[in-house]
Amino acid sequence: MTTNNTHSRTLSPAPALIQCRRLTKTYKKGDNTITPLQELDLDVPAGDFLALMGPSGSGKTTLLNLIAGIDRPSGGNLIIGGTDIATLSRSKLADWRSTHVGYVFQLYNLVPVLTAYENVELPLLLHSMSARERHQKVSTALELVGIADRHDHYPRQLSGGQEQRVAIARAIVTDPTIIVGDEPTGDLDQESAQAIMNLMTRLCEDLGKTLIIVTHDAKSAAYAKRTLHLEKGRLVEAADLAARRESTVPQPV
Amino acid sequence: MIAPKFIPVVVKQLWRHRVRSVLTLSGVAIAMFLFIAVQTLQEGVSRSTQAAAGDTTLVVYRANRFCPAASRLPQFYVDRIEKIPGVASAVPVKIVVNNCRASLDVVTFRGVPREDLAGPQGWANKWQLIAGSVAEWEKRSDSALVGETLAARRGFQVGQSFDASGITVTVAGIVRSSEAQDQNVAYVHLDFLQQAAGKGGGLGSVTQFTVRVDDPAKMEAVATAIDDEFRTEADPTMTSPEKAFVAQAGADIVEIVKFTQWLGWGCLAAVLTLVANAIVLSVQDRIKEHAVLQTLGFRSGLIARLIVSEGMLIGLLGGAIGTGIALAVVHFGNFSLSQEGLSIGVRASWSVLAWGLIISAGVGIVAGLVPAWRAGRREIASCFRAV
Repeated sequence: MTTNNTHSRTLSPAPALIQCRRLTKTYKKGDNTITPLQELDLDVPAGDFLALMGPSGSGKTTLLNLIAGIDRPSGGNLIIGGTDIATLSRSKLADWRSTHVGYVFQLYNLVPVLTAYENVELPLLLHSMSARERHQKVSTALELVGIADRHDHYPRQLSGGQEQRVAIARAIVTDPTIIVGDEPTGDLDQESAQAIMNLMTRLCEDLGKTLIIVTHDAKSAAYAKRTLHLEKGRLVEAADLAARRESTVPQPV
Repeated sequence: MIAPKFIPVVVKQLWRHRVRSVLTLSGVAIAMFLFIAVQTLQEGVSRSTQAAAGDTTLVVYRANRFCPAASRLPQFYVDRIEKIPGVASAVPVKIVVNNCRASLDVVTFRGVPREDLAGPQGWANKWQLIAGSVAEWEKRSDSALVGETLAARRGFQVGQSFDASGITVTVAGIVRSSEAQDQNVAYVHLDFLQQAAGKGGGLGSVTQFTVRVDDPAKMEAVATAIDDEFRTEADPTMTSPEKAFVAQAGADIVEIVKFTQWLGWGCLAAVLTLVANAIVLSVQDRIKEHAVLQTLGFRSGLIARLIVSEGMLIGLLGGAIGTGIALAVVHFGNFSLSQEGLSIGVRASWSVLAWGLIISAGVGIVAGLVPAWRAGRREIASCFRAV
């Protein structure tokens, strides 16, 4: 028995960092009930780089928001790092986000009245550390994203690519477990988008972070270790997707 | 309320909409200026009319008269008053004013016997002489010891002569007193004033007697005894504690000042509305930004406190400006509300300043509460969907 148990533990894969079980999200819009996510099962191991793709309204941003803890599931379980975050109170969830999640938005969402340095410093204000420690962490984060020389610039003085670098620095400065990006290259030109994806991939590998992005861009998705497709709130298997693509290709007459 | 490390964030948010912030600050400053001006009036009235446990001064006036020009009592009453048990001293006073109506700039002459003012137990002993000398006042029959407020308001200097109500006197000294009545008058020799203002009764006629009793507990009994003493005379008296007398004689002013407290409350309501409006607009502009802060891990309560802090800062800054200007105007303006020769001092005080700052900060906090609560309760994802 003992041997079997030991054997069983040795053979079992490590539990996934993110476990979604029958994850469902519904909300009311007027008289209608919208279900952007329906009984979704998903495991994401630590260190994974996952791209979520799918048409508009497929539920990919909803899934991302649920994993980031900025939205709450209507049903199912969402266990991240052993914590069922759906059961956390509003305040505890905020604390959890500040420690475990770095979020990169499509439109950067920097605070316009704060400099690049102050924007990156914002999440650190929630943690008890000295001003000197904060300074060190902010400087390191700005160095990592290659924008240290613009630390005293305001968002309006930066290009889109530079703003997104600051946003990435803000996302990694607290050393979170998961970094999520909602179309992080969606507002950038091709060259800047490529640079940002290279940066995110490098950071993910160098820092050992789990990275999940939502994207419409196949080129951006190509940087990910794996890509998942969603349609109408459900994951679509790769084989089904290929068959569906084939069926939509026009046949020669 | 918030940790000091968040203060720069709050200040920068206010700086973000400079024009709106400056306009709101100006509105708050103006409203607080009015509120503090009203408060200094209220405080002056309270100081002048509310009796204190240690008060020992009675004023003996002609019964049924409230104007110095109409109150004429024989000077010889003083001997009979001094004999009444409980009376420590009685001083005959002649009062002449250049304006009987309520005004902010009245020159009041008080004629007092030489020994009652400059003698060993004289009134001058309780004053602080800030210029000139009492000896000079004793030497010259047309000299005056001028209260500090009156001297500052009219720009009087020692040695200077001035004329009011047809009476010309020379300033022998400038005195400072804790009593509003002393601060705003020119003390002259009684016989000089009786002659100079002949139509007010002439020699032997005074306006009132200022009586000190030897025990504060005897005030009422002594007042009754004095009025009983002269009840059957041709000129009966009406005796009352000095502060009650001021309240009665200056009833018009007291009523007006009491009414102004409603203006004061109105000013506070204006501050509340102004700050609340500014905060509501500011919060509406930043729905998405607050959602971003929540995404970063800011708790709802912290966001609410940041917003309330903005309200408090606007209120405090505007309040400090308005209160500071109001107190400076009151201090340098040397205003004194006068009616029937009685003065109600309008003075700047530290307590009014402290209250001004506390109230303005408090109103700022209250103004920020509702928008802060609403901002803190918003669901993050719905904020991103809505914008």
